[in-house]
Amino acid sequence: MSENKILFNTGSFDGISEEIGKLTTNAEESRLKLTPDNADSGLAKLVLTLVELIRKLVEKQAMRRVDGGSLTDDEIERLGETLMKLEMKMEELKKHFNLTDRDLNINLGPLGDLM
Amino acid sequence: MEIMIYALLSVKKKPERLHALLAGMNGIAGADLHQLSFDEITAVVSNMSRASLIADKSTAMEYAAVIETLSKHFILLPMRFGSVMESNEAIIHMLERNYHDIQQNLLKVERKFEFGLKVFCDSEKLMAELREKSEAVSKTQRTTVAEIKNSASRIWVNKKLKEHRLEELLVTYVDSVIAEITGQLDRLKTISKIKKMVTPTTIIDGVFLLDKALKDELIHAVGDLQNKFPGLNFILTGPWPPYNFVDFTVK
Repeated sequence: MSENKILFNTGSFDGISEEIGKLTTNAEESRLKLTPDNADSGLAKLVLTLVELIRKLVEKQAMRRVDGGSLTDDEIERLGETLMKLEMKMEELKKHFNLTDRDLNINLGPLGDLM
Repeated sequence: MEIMIYALLSVKKKPERLHALLAGMNGIAGADLHQLSFDEITAVVSNMSRASLIADKSTAMEYAAVIETLSKHFILLPMRFGSVMESNEAIIHMLERNYHDIQQNLLKVERKFEFGLKVFCDSEKLMAELREKSEAVSKTQRTTVAEIKNSASRIWVNKKLKEHRLEELLVTYVDSVIAEITGQLDRLKTISKIKKMVTPTTIIDGVFLLDKALKDELIHAVGDLQNKFPGLNFILTGPWPPYNFVDFTVK
């Protein structure tokens, strides 16, 4: 691969290396690594990842509806309270299992990151 | 000993050329390369046990170098790194079972190469610009949820609503950049695969399949795009073997 493969770039070469580095580092760090030694924490990570994905989807859909103006004040109040409590509970669980937001964003290989 | 497959080639009338080429090349860890054929399709392979395969950067580079060299002389489909089968016979049977799909894919990539286009942004700057825009839109068109009661949940909803609107603006912006890219490249008859918002700074990661002869036109088109979006950084790479355009599952 001696040929120069960069055909167009107005930024610096260091800048490209840094950005490409971020892409590969993210993919490496966010892979789900289940082994016999970490089965418990690995399972917690997997379950919480799915819960977080569903929670975020519900939140997104709720915000779409709020933005669309199809909800009454009372409905917004109840929705807000429920979603806020869900978010707080999720934070507690993450803390309990010593997980961060980044841990819950599993890399799906060619499909990219989950969230 | 198991067999590693590097690429599937359409050799047709040039088998002696492939033979000569492989004689001067080495695979991973200096392994000898040889060919296994079924009709007009040939697999370039080397002996390699799955257990001894180390998936690191230098091995991947050796693997890519074989594919790169072959792609300069033959129409080929790169195999995924680590494609190993148990015997020569198993590979020949695989070629036979998948003959039609392989031929269709080879036809698709004939005389074509892959080019990569990544678009980077200064995410803080871009988000600040969009936030300004979002606030302006909120003032003129949209209202936030009434905060009469000023309850914690109302404050929470308003915060999330602002984030949601900002995200929507970002998606709309990235979609407009993608529309410009595809608009520019459609005239070159490219086949494209585009992922958006891969990371906060990599807003577009695209690959395009097109005739190598159109390379200069592609560079020119990307230059036009760069001028149109001076706040973004467009990086075009290639030509590459068609890594992202092999669309079949081995039966």
